[in-house]
Amino acid sequence: MFNEKPLKKIKALLLFILIVSISAFKNQQPQVYQITTGKISFRSDAPLEIIKAASNNLIGLLDVSKNNFSFRIDVHSFQGFNSPLQKEHFNENYMESAKYPEASFKGKIIEDVDLTQDGNYDVRTKGILTIHNVPQERIIKSTVMVKQKIITVHSEFTVLLSDHNIPIPMVVNQKLANEIRVNVDATLESK
Amino acid sequence: MRKEIKLLISIIIFCSLKAISQDVNLDSLLDAQTKSKNKNTTQYAEATFKTSRLIDGHTVETTQGGVLDLKISHRFGQLNDGFYNMFGLDVASIRIGMDYGFTNRLTVGGGRSSFEKQYDLFLKYRLLRQSEGKKNTPVSVTLLASSMLQTDTSTLKLEKKITAKPKFSDKLSYAYQVLIARKFNSNFSLQIAPTMVHENLVDSSFNANDIFAIGAGARFKLTQRSSINVEYYYVLPDTKLPGTHNTLSIGYEIETGGHVFQIHLSNSTGMTERTVVAENPGKWSDGDIHIGFNISRVFTIRKPKELKM
Repeated sequence: MFNEKPLKKIKALLLFILIVSISAFKNQQPQVYQITTGKISFRSDAPLEIIKAASNNLIGLLDVSKNNFSFRIDVHSFQGFNSPLQKEHFNENYMESAKYPEASFKGKIIEDVDLTQDGNYDVRTKGILTIHNVPQERIIKSTVMVKQKIITVHSEFTVLLSDHNIPIPMVVNQKLANEIRVNVDATLESK
Repeated sequence: MRKEIKLLISIIIFCSLKAISQDVNLDSLLDAQTKSKNKNTTQYAEATFKTSRLIDGHTVETTQGGVLDLKISHRFGQLNDGFYNMFGLDVASIRIGMDYGFTNRLTVGGGRSSFEKQYDLFLKYRLLRQSEGKKNTPVSVTLLASSMLQTDTSTLKLEKKITAKPKFSDKLSYAYQVLIARKFNSNFSLQIAPTMVHENLVDSSFNANDIFAIGAGARFKLTQRSSINVEYYYVLPDTKLPGTHNTLSIGYEIETGGHVFQIHLSNSTGMTERTVVAENPGKWSDGDIHIGFNISRVFTIRKPKELKM
C-alpha cells in the first residue's frame, strides 16, 4: 500500500521534529527559584517628618527559564514607623490593608540573561506594580547576583502615592512625602 | 513501519503537551503559599474604635505601649438653659486627663473633672484581641477598674442627704467594666459593656451601694477619617438611684494625624463612670442636652523598635 521511500522521509521528518521539540522542551524546563529571605523597606522624606518602615515578609518566585517573576508582600507586616498610631494610620487610612492585604510586582526581565550562570547582572524588569489595588506598569532596575545557585536581588525605586490613589490630607502635607523611596532585598533559591 | 510512525507522532504530542503544562503559573503557586501562611499566622483586627473613649465611656481600645494620650473633655451646659445662658454655652464642665500605655495591653490613666471636683484613676487591661487566621477570636475583650474621688463635700452632703462631715472613704466610688467589642467590617464596630458602679456612700433611703448597667456603643465610619458614634448606658431598674436617668450620647468623630476630635450631644454633665452611668439626673426629653467635645492628642514617649533583618 505504502511506498517505502516517502515513508522513510516522513519518519526522518518526524524524528527531526521530535528532536527539536525535545530540545525546546529542555530549554523550557521551568526552573523556579523561591524567595527564602526577602525584605522591603520604605522611606518618606517630608520637610517635617521622616517615616521609615520595613517588612521581612516578602515572598516571590522567579522562573529562570523564562525570566518571569512574581513578588508579593503582606502590607500588614510593615513595622517601624514613628509611633504605633502612625502604623495604624498606614493600614487603616492609607493602604487600607484590610481591603487590600497585598502589594505585588509581577512581570519579566527585559534583558536576555541566563540566571543559571554565576555572575553579576544589571537588569531592567518590566511588570505590573500593584499597590492599594491600583496597578501601574513599571520598569524597575535591579542588580542580580548569581552564585552557586543562589540568586540575590537588590532593587531601589520610588513609588508615587498619587499613582496609586493614596491621597495625602492637607494637615499632613508637610509630614508625608508623595514620593516614597523603596528598597528591595531578596535571596532566592531553587525550589 | 506505520506503527513506528504512530509511536513517533504520539511521543511528539506527549512532549509538546508536557512542554505546555510545564508553563508554570507563578501566581497560583504564590496564592497557595499565601493561603497556607495566612492559616499559620494571626491577623488582629485593628482600630475597632479610633480612641480609648467612645464618647463618655471607655472603648476596648487601650493606649499603645509607650504612648501618652492627653485628653481634654468639655461639656457645655444644657440646651434648655435658655437664651440668658446662651443655651448652655456659658456653663462649662471639664475633665483633663492622661492615659499612658505601659504595654500594648495595659493602660493606666487618671484625670480631674471640674464637675463635683472629682479625681479619677483607672487601670485598663486588654484581655482578648479580635483575630483571624491561626488564632480565631470573634471579639475583643478589655477589663476596666476605675476609682473616683469626689472632693466637693457640700454637693456630696446634699446628694447623699447627710449632715455630718463625710469621711475620706465616703467620697470614693468604684467602677468595673467588661468591654466586649467586635469590628464587623471596616465601617462598623459594636460594643457591649456590662458595668458595675459601687458607691461607698449612698442616700440612706436607698440601700444598695451597687449600680448595675449594660452599656452599648457603636461606631459607623463615614469617611476614612470620620465616624458617627453612639453610646447608651442602660441601668438595671432595680439598682437605679432615684432621680437618675440612662445616658444616651451621639457624636461625630474626626481624626487628623495624632489628634482625635469628638463633638457630641449627651444628657450627661460628668465624664466618668460614676456620673455618667450611676448619677445622671439629665433627661433628653426635658432638653437636658449638653453639647460637648473631647480632644485626644497622643505623644510617643517610647519609640517603636525598627525592624532588623
